[in-house]
Amino acid sequence: MTATTTLERIESFLPERSVRIDDVADSLGLRRAEVGVFRKIYGLDRLRFDPDTGLFDLVLHSARRALKALPEGRHVRYVVYAHTMQAVTPPHIDAAQVIREELGLHDAEAFALTHQACVSSLGAVDLTGELLRAEAPEGAYALMVTGERAYSPKVQLIPHSAIMADAAAACLVTVGGPGDEVRSFTTRTLGEFAAGLDMTKEQTQGFGQVYGTVLGEVIHEAVARAELSFDDIDLVIPHNVNLVSWRQTIKEMGADPGRFFLDNVPLYSHTYAADVFVNYTTLRDRGRLVPGRHYVLVSVGLGATFGAMVITHREG
Amino acid sequence: MDRHHVVAAVEAALGEVLERPVTGLTEDVRLFEDLHLDSTSVLEMLMALEDAIDISVDPESLDMDDFKSVGTLTDYVLTQQAPSGV
Repeated sequence: MTATTTLERIESFLPERSVRIDDVADSLGLRRAEVGVFRKIYGLDRLRFDPDTGLFDLVLHSARRALKALPEGRHVRYVVYAHTMQAVTPPHIDAAQVIREELGLHDAEAFALTHQACVSSLGAVDLTGELLRAEAPEGAYALMVTGERAYSPKVQLIPHSAIMADAAAACLVTVGGPGDEVRSFTTRTLGEFAAGLDMTKEQTQGFGQVYGTVLGEVIHEAVARAELSFDDIDLVIPHNVNLVSWRQTIKEMGADPGRFFLDNVPLYSHTYAADVFVNYTTLRDRGRLVPGRHYVLVSVGLGATFGAMVITHREG
Repeated sequence: MDRHHVVAAVEAALGEVLERPVTGLTEDVRLFEDLHLDSTSVLEMLMALEDAIDISVDPESLDMDDFKSVGTLTDYVLTQQAPSGV
């Protein structure tokens, strides 16, 4: 029997500096009525945003803490840096290699994944599981690192959707370990929306029209692949894009809104590919994750990829 | 607030959102076809109205049918007015 991917430790990090969306409105060129829509309709309020925190300060914090769960004598074979924006460093700096060196994981293979945008972190967890099964020595580990800074207005505002914020997360992965078990991972990519931030108005409207339906289908498909029904799912742990798209998705699914964890949307806003892991740590720290119960991690990336991963929580 | 005042407030809110003066609105003017609003600019107009007059929009119960024309919007605004406290 093939060993399943397991999540041995998830950690997240948020800069302390918290601002209101009104504080970034000028730099994003948002008029008062547009800020009103983001606040009242989309449910955004505060976000963590600290221009004085560098990219590596941001991502290494949670990566080091996740790495502490590595058992004595075991090795990290892969370091994968998953990010949304393709350019997060100047061209002469390879962020994945810097992260590996800073963590002292000199024997690990390091690379980045980005093309699934905000689903890249879930995709990286899935990929490292496949690599560990396919070619790594038994007992090897992988470290998924995600997080990026909203370093420019051009990457902070997704018009009529989201205001991006700073955060990071990391996940220590192995196969057949005692951590949370990955039961399934489903993605669907709609290439007609590949232009992402450069979509035309018609494309953006078309994306909005199919969004809730497709996301609901992907969640149901992931649950079915895990040989579960949606009634077996304790909570959906989603990305924080906004409340209006989640309301639409929940309505399309005919689901109980109480089974979607949306508390962090007004606190942290959308933090690229880190949201689901930030939200996981919030729930874990509240004692809300129950051993033996099932959860769905869900994100959507511009481009456009819809992703859902079903996990079974285990005693940490 | 009577219908006449609501229509005047709608004119001001539309002026803010469309960034051009809007005057002489009648209740049969259609927001999408005649004024070329879209679902986003309708929401922005509602936020401008919230700022200007005493209404509270419930984001959970928005129905685009309420925003077909200046007349249906006026009906909607009058139902969203906060109780006077009397």
